[in-house]
Amino acid sequence: MSTVIEVRNLVKRYKGAKTPSVDDISFSVERGEFFAFLGPNGAGKTTTISILTTTLSKTSGEVRIAGFDVARQARQVREKVGIIFQQPSLDPNLTAEENIRFHACLYGMYGYRPSFRLMPAAYQSKVIELAELVGIEDALFKPIKKLSGGMQRKLEIIRSLIHTPDVLFLDEPTQGLDAVSRRSLWEYLDETRRRYGTTVFLTTHYIDEAEQVDTVCIINRGRIAVCASPEEMRRAVRFDPTPKVCLPSLEDAYVAFLKEGVAA
Amino acid sequence: MTEKLYVEVLGGMSDGRHGDMVEMTLAEVVLADTSSVRKRSRAFRELNSILTVMAREITLLLKSPSTLVVSLAMPIMMMGMIGGNLMQNMAGGLGFDFGSFMLVGMLVNMLFMMVSMNMTSLVEDRETDFNQEMLVSPVSRYSLVIGKILGATFGAILSMVGALLVGLAMGITLPVEKLLLILALSPLFCLTGGALAMMLIGLIRSKKAANMAVTLITMPQMFLSGAIIPINHSDGLLMVLSRLMPMTYCLDLARAVVNAGTPEYDSVVMFDPIVNFAAIAALTLVCLVAGTFFYAQSGKNR
Repeated sequence: MSTVIEVRNLVKRYKGAKTPSVDDISFSVERGEFFAFLGPNGAGKTTTISILTTTLSKTSGEVRIAGFDVARQARQVREKVGIIFQQPSLDPNLTAEENIRFHACLYGMYGYRPSFRLMPAAYQSKVIELAELVGIEDALFKPIKKLSGGMQRKLEIIRSLIHTPDVLFLDEPTQGLDAVSRRSLWEYLDETRRRYGTTVFLTTHYIDEAEQVDTVCIINRGRIAVCASPEEMRRAVRFDPTPKVCLPSLEDAYVAFLKEGVAA
Repeated sequence: MTEKLYVEVLGGMSDGRHGDMVEMTLAEVVLADTSSVRKRSRAFRELNSILTVMAREITLLLKSPSTLVVSLAMPIMMMGMIGGNLMQNMAGGLGFDFGSFMLVGMLVNMLFMMVSMNMTSLVEDRETDFNQEMLVSPVSRYSLVIGKILGATFGAILSMVGALLVGLAMGITLPVEKLLLILALSPLFCLTGGALAMMLIGLIRSKKAANMAVTLITMPQMFLSGAIIPINHSDGLLMVLSRLMPMTYCLDLARAVVNAGTPEYDSVVMFDPIVNFAAIAALTLVCLVAGTFFYAQSGKNR
């Protein structure tokens, strides 16, 4: 496997801040890996993801995505990534399909046409196929304002995948979703990873969502506390469950690492 | 049973197959298609991005009846009320037809004013986080800004048509060929006005501040550039300020077009059209580069 995300000694200090939000962190993510970046509120997760996706400048350090430097080759990096932001970034005045069309045309997938019917057949079939996959085909031509939070999140996922990115960044993608929506969203993301081999970089507060990932990296107060597989993390913490044969959950391990700084 | 298709791989396959005949399901063809169609020239992609951003602005305008009403009502206030009063009280002894002078001034002023107002949608995009969607896309920031300005031009031209209709009701008309020439120049004027607006709006993050900025941009221009009051005899600071306003040169160029070959030309037009073109190009370029830089960097360098 080749490295698709490489972060070396990354530092971010916001203007006027006394301490850095991200303080000399290093990690790497392999192609096709499912990577979870966990940490409490204000730990530096969104700051890191913003730098990795070129929307925020770094103070120092080196960041490369698919071999491209985020500072000097931002355009090439943007070609390679798809992002689902923490806050929805849909245009509420457009329909769901208009939002997708805007994205697809901006990414150079298709020449712009003023209506769905005038778009190429490949676009139409792909949009319908993706909409059916996530179950929003009935809402495709409705204004965003009329869609539920769960539907909007699914739509953002369709939009971020339509240009088949190498790396998909998910910044708390299930925030505010009900259990059913969360589950169907993860089923779809699993399917996407299988079909496209997409590398997924996830931040989440729902630790159970990270149980299936390949690697977990915990960031706390801007510094990396641990980077390991969920299994390694669970084995590294002292835990006394009942019955004794059980391993602690990833959430137990996560809390232990934050509280005690247990070394993996 | 899923039917298989034999297709020739033209590019974009992640496994490097190129020129091979491969067996694929229809679903696989659809998935593969998107990576192939992305192999377009950079110029096409930038033009396509400009068109996409412009089309979104026009779609939003058409979906907002209140904005359309404002676009058409603004000329009634500007042309009908302000212009009408000036015509009745100031038109005598100027040595040229004030009605025609004011109509051209109002047409260009409407373009600048409406483009500036429509550019505030950039701040709305920041408030709804849609701006992030644009900023993470792999296109030039200039394409995003130019697309925004050209989209805003649509509403501005509607207002210009409104001003013409109000002028018609007031008995002020222009020859059709002159009107067509002004219409042909209007995208250039809108680009200039939009680039100027970007200088301030590119830095602003709240809608309230953006609306105040629009007033700051449009009001001094209307009075200092000679939209409704001649500035041929301005001197001192007012003269310096008027020469710094991009609208001064746009107005002068429009009046040169309208008055070409008439005895009034020398009383109405201040500069050679080449000077106007050069000044418009230089000021637009400076404003566009600075405005786009502010827009791209305001969220990034925190």
